[in-house]
Amino acid sequence: MKRILSVLLVVMMLATVAFTGCGKATTTDQAASTAAAPAESSAPAAEASSAAAEPAQAPAVTDDPSIKVLNLWSFTDEVPKMIDKYKAAHPDFPYEVKTTIIATTDGAYQPALDQALAAGGADAPDIYTAEAAFVLKYTQGDAYKYAAAYKDLGIDVDNALKAAEIAPYVSDIGTNPDGNLIGLAYQATGGAYIYRRSIAKAVWGTDDPAVIKDKVGPGWDKFFAAAAELKAKGYGIVSGDGDIWHSIENSSEKGWIVDGKLYLDPKREEFLDLSKKLKDGGFHNDTQDWQDAWYADMKGAGKQQIFGFFGPAWLINYVMAGNSGGTKPGEGTYGDWAICEPTVGFSWGGTWILGNKDTKLKKTVGDIINWITLDTSDTGLSYMWANGTFSIPEGKTVGTKDTVASGTVMKKSDGKLDFLGNQNMFDVFVPAGASATGKNKTQYDESINTIWRDQVRQYTAGKKSRDQAIADFKQQVADNLGIAVD
Amino acid sequence: MRRKSVSYAKYGYIFSIPFVLAYLVFSLYPTIYTTIIGFTDLKGLTKTDWKFLSDPFQNFEQILKNPSFITSTKNTAIIWIINFIPQILLALLLTAWFTSSRRHIKGQGAFKVILYMPNIITAATVAILFNALFGYPTGPANDIIQSLGLSKDPIYFLNEKWTAKLIVSFIQCWQWYGYTMLILISGVLGINPELFEAAEMDGASGSKAFFKITIPSLRPIMLYMLVTSLIGGLNMFDIPKLFVMNSGPDNATLTASVFIYNQAFSGSYMYNRAAAASMILFVVIAILSGILFYSMRDRSAAKLRKEEKRRIKAYNESNKMAARRAEI
Amino acid sequence: MRNKLNASGYALNTVIYAVCIILALLSILPFWVMIMNATRGTFEIQQHALSLLPSTHLADNIAVLKGKSFNAMTGFLNSMIISSGTAVCAVYFSSLTAYGLVAYDWRLRQPFFTFIMAILMIPAQVVTIGFYQFMYRIHMTNNFLPLILPAIAGPAMVFFMRQYLLATLQLDVVNSARIDGAGEFYTFNRIILPIMKPAIATQAIFAFVGSWNSLFTPMVLLNDKSKYTMPIMVSQLRGDIYKKEYGSIYLGLTLTVLPIFVVYFLLSKYIIAGVALGSIKE
Repeated sequence: MKRILSVLLVVMMLATVAFTGCGKATTTDQAASTAAAPAESSAPAAEASSAAAEPAQAPAVTDDPSIKVLNLWSFTDEVPKMIDKYKAAHPDFPYEVKTTIIATTDGAYQPALDQALAAGGADAPDIYTAEAAFVLKYTQGDAYKYAAAYKDLGIDVDNALKAAEIAPYVSDIGTNPDGNLIGLAYQATGGAYIYRRSIAKAVWGTDDPAVIKDKVGPGWDKFFAAAAELKAKGYGIVSGDGDIWHSIENSSEKGWIVDGKLYLDPKREEFLDLSKKLKDGGFHNDTQDWQDAWYADMKGAGKQQIFGFFGPAWLINYVMAGNSGGTKPGEGTYGDWAICEPTVGFSWGGTWILGNKDTKLKKTVGDIINWITLDTSDTGLSYMWANGTFSIPEGKTVGTKDTVASGTVMKKSDGKLDFLGNQNMFDVFVPAGASATGKNKTQYDESINTIWRDQVRQYTAGKKSRDQAIADFKQQVADNLGIAVD
Repeated sequence: MRRKSVSYAKYGYIFSIPFVLAYLVFSLYPTIYTTIIGFTDLKGLTKTDWKFLSDPFQNFEQILKNPSFITSTKNTAIIWIINFIPQILLALLLTAWFTSSRRHIKGQGAFKVILYMPNIITAATVAILFNALFGYPTGPANDIIQSLGLSKDPIYFLNEKWTAKLIVSFIQCWQWYGYTMLILISGVLGINPELFEAAEMDGASGSKAFFKITIPSLRPIMLYMLVTSLIGGLNMFDIPKLFVMNSGPDNATLTASVFIYNQAFSGSYMYNRAAAASMILFVVIAILSGILFYSMRDRSAAKLRKEEKRRIKAYNESNKMAARRAEI
Repeated sequence: MRNKLNASGYALNTVIYAVCIILALLSILPFWVMIMNATRGTFEIQQHALSLLPSTHLADNIAVLKGKSFNAMTGFLNSMIISSGTAVCAVYFSSLTAYGLVAYDWRLRQPFFTFIMAILMIPAQVVTIGFYQFMYRIHMTNNFLPLILPAIAGPAMVFFMRQYLLATLQLDVVNSARIDGAGEFYTFNRIILPIMKPAIATQAIFAFVGSWNSLFTPMVLLNDKSKYTMPIMVSQLRGDIYKKEYGSIYLGLTLTVLPIFVVYFLLSKYIIAGVALGSIKE
């Protein structure tokens, strides 16, 4: 019996080698052929763009007439709905749009998208989207080579960027290591401090943003002074440590990786102390962002009433409004909010749009991306997005408004919200965009943030010393990501 | 052992063909692929070419020295043990009650059906529900604890290493004891009822019959239970991943599977290291299963094998007889 | 009655019922909460996640589900095809393989069994990477077959069926069938499968439920909306991180669980009745 078994094993091993030999060969063949294809197709594109450099002539791109389907991949239905709108505005739009939406919650979007991009072929996405938390992977990290440069999609990048006054950090993040723009976001996500008017009046006798902004900032010392005043009247200044984390993370000078090594920016390190101070002082309800208790604080249903949250415009529209316990002023906390400059300037979130370099529909993909991100006209997506005319819910005159990446559009848009007691939110959010930066992001942010915030919670809960928390953080980053640490 | 008779042996091969084919098509390639990349430098998302490392065991060394991997194996073992022991005891107890010939438990059909139910709910639902149950700072578990005066401040269950581990173990146990029970009951149903009748005739008490007949007869099924639960336990993924967000407080619920997943997907795409960790896990499972087989085999399996041989012999004899009869 | 219980026996019976009832409540509670929450509004749920009483928001939740392109019918059909296919393939072919392993004396039998045991132990996590890459390469995405056919080679189930057959199969039955002139496949299909009913019923449920609930593999392999399974659709609901419509999420989860209930209760009679193994034990 044993002999048979060993013979069988040998046979299997041989089969193995033969099998993988074949598998390997086909892989490299495929790689070779996919590598060859763009080389061919990019040659004319390169010519076109060099031609464009001399005379002012836009590079002509076309669609392959044999293709009938445009593949779109995203993680929410936001961008798919935009393309529906685009189709509605262009009755002669000849393609069937095949939409793939995979939620990011279960961690499947990126693996699936990666596979689809790597596999190529007719099912590969023509347009795909990436969220701020992982966009770097697709614009500058491991996957940037799959994306088409906007200029190869027939977009006159330099002029359009200038004309639309795109916030610089948006295009920084979307520029690949070769210096080409491959992704833009439609939103601008500069942040503000969003606070309750009634609490401001109770504590300081006024809800004027000009006054409150000097109470909560600039700088964390003033913030904690305000926290103490609020605490004395029985209010918390924020809901949980996540609220200050997003502003700290996105206001730091450098990202998690510097020169290929893990780097703990002093501002991010300070989060340990700030978080401890918050917890020890009882200045928050100790909630975690995106958990039920956090939402509850938006309608004042927590242990103590919470004064405010840090966030960009989308937080107001998509999260706070829905969780305020009301739909019009007077209900719940709806209408009891105002915004002012945050303690430290930051940005948070956003969705970037990319086109596949191998797409056969270069013209259409380019047109759609242009319409969503760079078109500043009243019929462009940005304008509708900013003014709440993109989709108007039943029984309302205006939909959700949001800040957009184009400064040109922001200048001619109106950001008055009844949720904010008719304050024009753009007054605060547009300048806030200036402090946003794309320089402190890495493709590892999501993973490293999770590890870091866990260790900070261990420290603030008194489970371990500050040094130990930092040491364990570094160890876990090294263990899980193979990144060098000191 | 060679003898002339109508040979049915070829049916052994024929009946195995579908399995082998499906395995070859759907599993062999991925398995071999995994084995091989454990020895290579395949790291990074877009990399399609790879070469073998000059030191073929470099990935394995790195994994074995990786403190998080060591933590993850410890966690896996701890969580598996605190879930499995109560689970199998509870399942055995229920099996004894439900299959007892003299203790006709009324409505046991309904009980069996209901007790298995936690197993048919998805991990995602379980994650949402238990997250709500053990919510912090407010949640039902905290409400109860505070109203009973057990603790003045709300407890951050998922930020405490041991409570997080215990809750994960509890969920696993709760989800799987019904399954274990059903398997054991279906095993008991397979036992020849004459054995029980004989025992009853001899005046053996219910518990005696359980220990003398049921448990020994259940050995093959129990072995199955143990081995599959061990493998399932070492592959534990859904609940730790969805419920406690990847690794729990300070890696308290980081299981080996989540560790492997993180190696491959959390940002660095270290497919080679993930593959090496899988192989190490495979070896661990193989060793543990081997030990289990060996220890279970001691008394009963060896006997079983003998019995099996005897049966086959009788079977071949009868084949011969049948063949002869057919000839006649 | 010989079987009459004495006083302590009755006391124990009481304990047994008490334990069973507590366990049953623990089992039902999450389902109850889930169904109740399907009728509650998102705010109510965020306030108190657990409630034993229904509320009035069922219609709202249905409206939200519809608005989110949650197509219960499509999802149900897709899930049904995949899960039934998986369950049928798994139990039939595992029984066949197990029978081949138990009933016939063939030369590679023991090595083959060792082989099955070995592949049973291979951890699932990273093998999946190779599986996805392979399926993408041969263009089997958006196809149900890669989700169904691998079930034919289920080492764990073969192992179980083998253990079961070892404990129950009596070869006399097979022989008498042969004497009656039955072919081997006929014997297997008509005589052995019925004998294995209790094992098949339990394993079929497990296979069906496992396949019904699986999320990650279908999510990565099925990108076409019309091919989505129920769990994928629920995960879409949960994936909208800006605004969690909890009521509709619970409604989606409830809709996902209902079909399993039906299948489960249909098959459960086999488990409960235990299908007297009369065919072999006269």
